[in-house]
Amino acid sequence: MIRLEKVTVAYGSRVILDAIDLEVPTGKTMVILGESGSGKTTILKCVLGTLHPHSGRVLANGQNIATLNDDELLRFRQRMGMVFQEGALFDSLTVGENVAFWLWEHTDLSEEKVEARVRTLLRFVGLEDSIDFRPSDLSGGMRRRVAIARAMAAEDPAFMLYDEPTTGLDPFTSKSICDLMRRVQREFSTTNIVVTHDLTDAYRVGDLFTFIKDARVIATGSRQEIERSSDPFIRTFLSLDS
Amino acid sequence: MFEKSLGLALGLLGTVQSFTLMVSRSFRYLFVHFRLRESLLEMDRLGVGSIPIVFLANLFAGLDMALQFSVVMAPYGATNLLGKVVATSVIRDMGPVLASLVMSARVTAGIASELGMMATTQQIEALLVMGVDPVDRLVAPKLLAGMVMLPVLSVVGDFLGVLAGLAVAMFGAHVPAPLYWSGVRTALTLPNLVNGMVKPFVFGFILVSIGCYYGLRTSGGAQGVGRATTKAVVYAAIWILIANFLISKLLIDVWGWKL
Repeated sequence: MIRLEKVTVAYGSRVILDAIDLEVPTGKTMVILGESGSGKTTILKCVLGTLHPHSGRVLANGQNIATLNDDELLRFRQRMGMVFQEGALFDSLTVGENVAFWLWEHTDLSEEKVEARVRTLLRFVGLEDSIDFRPSDLSGGMRRRVAIARAMAAEDPAFMLYDEPTTGLDPFTSKSICDLMRRVQREFSTTNIVVTHDLTDAYRVGDLFTFIKDARVIATGSRQEIERSSDPFIRTFLSLDS
Repeated sequence: MFEKSLGLALGLLGTVQSFTLMVSRSFRYLFVHFRLRESLLEMDRLGVGSIPIVFLANLFAGLDMALQFSVVMAPYGATNLLGKVVATSVIRDMGPVLASLVMSARVTAGIASELGMMATTQQIEALLVMGVDPVDRLVAPKLLAGMVMLPVLSVVGDFLGVLAGLAVAMFGAHVPAPLYWSGVRTALTLPNLVNGMVKPFVFGFILVSIGCYYGLRTSGGAQGVGRATTKAVVYAAIWILIANFLISKLLIDVWGWKL
């Protein structure tokens, strides 16, 4: 379970998150929706521990991330997979090496075992044939798939975080990425947070939904609960998308 | 005015603090989590890849220095000292400084732009998320490579500079080769050699650490990468010259006015 309690982040006088409360139950996918610049990605940074909130607590499976020192944070992140907006693949490495990276860093597996695991993961995302490609040779959708495979490289990832995973993709590719995210959740029982501004994709992958506006959570709940909301911002957001 | 000065002072303190932290973490990783493969790769990239430009720079510096010294020394009939003068200048100052300045254009710029690009495309963040400290994976091996390879390049560059000086001495100033080499041999003193090894070691540290520091702190897309790279190269060059003076002064204080 991931829980944010009264989390506040501010840069000078500019408040990015204002006493946010959020709870993602184990094995569920929480989609965070809102306008660009509303602080959605900041929530992911707080969960990752790359940004420390000015007040409040971020708990992952009961562990307060803000109290961890650098080494503990690095260890904690080993159970976390993150898919960045553009994939953030290491462009000096091949696709296979990108996926193998985590295994090289954190295990003593032999090269044969690493390659077998890499092939399994790439097969899972449908890109086994691209193992020797460079990230620059891949399309946007393929890069996201490799990024998902890389994030899954840990034997037992407990949390998966997705930052705008379908931005800039065509509708078919977006759908295939959403389907893949669903498969990851189903097969690995991960607890997920997805940041997006695309409602269609949000409905495809989400179990729970949170709307952020002006640094605050204005609504959170299931799809039905969100659709019943009378908040003018949410009504406008839903109507614009439809 | 006061607030502006205070802001600048605090900014400078912050820079010193984060730079010191990065460097101390790098040294810690070199001892507790040494990466042989990455270090060797970096030595190949930073060092072996720089051989042609360092050689060229030292070759022409040696030629020019011998030429200029022979013009100054000829009226006094002192061209028989050409070997000693050229070798001393090359080993103590010109070799290390020139190799470092040339390498700052290649190595510091290369590191700053590489890490800057990684920072702006979230690759640095991806490393952190994967439980890998970028200082461990990226900075420490480069730092070691810089501190090992610059002295090596400098020594080979020094030899080439002295050899180039021989050509000018023989064909320009008509100094016999044995006389030139005996002058060179008298320049191979302990103070000179220590000078010639300590400087490139420190310059290697400066080149790499400044490149890494500005690279890792890059923000603002392609423009940001350009800004970081320019800053890194300029600061590296300035710090090399400052360090050169300070080391010269320190070693002269230690050894006295010996050559």
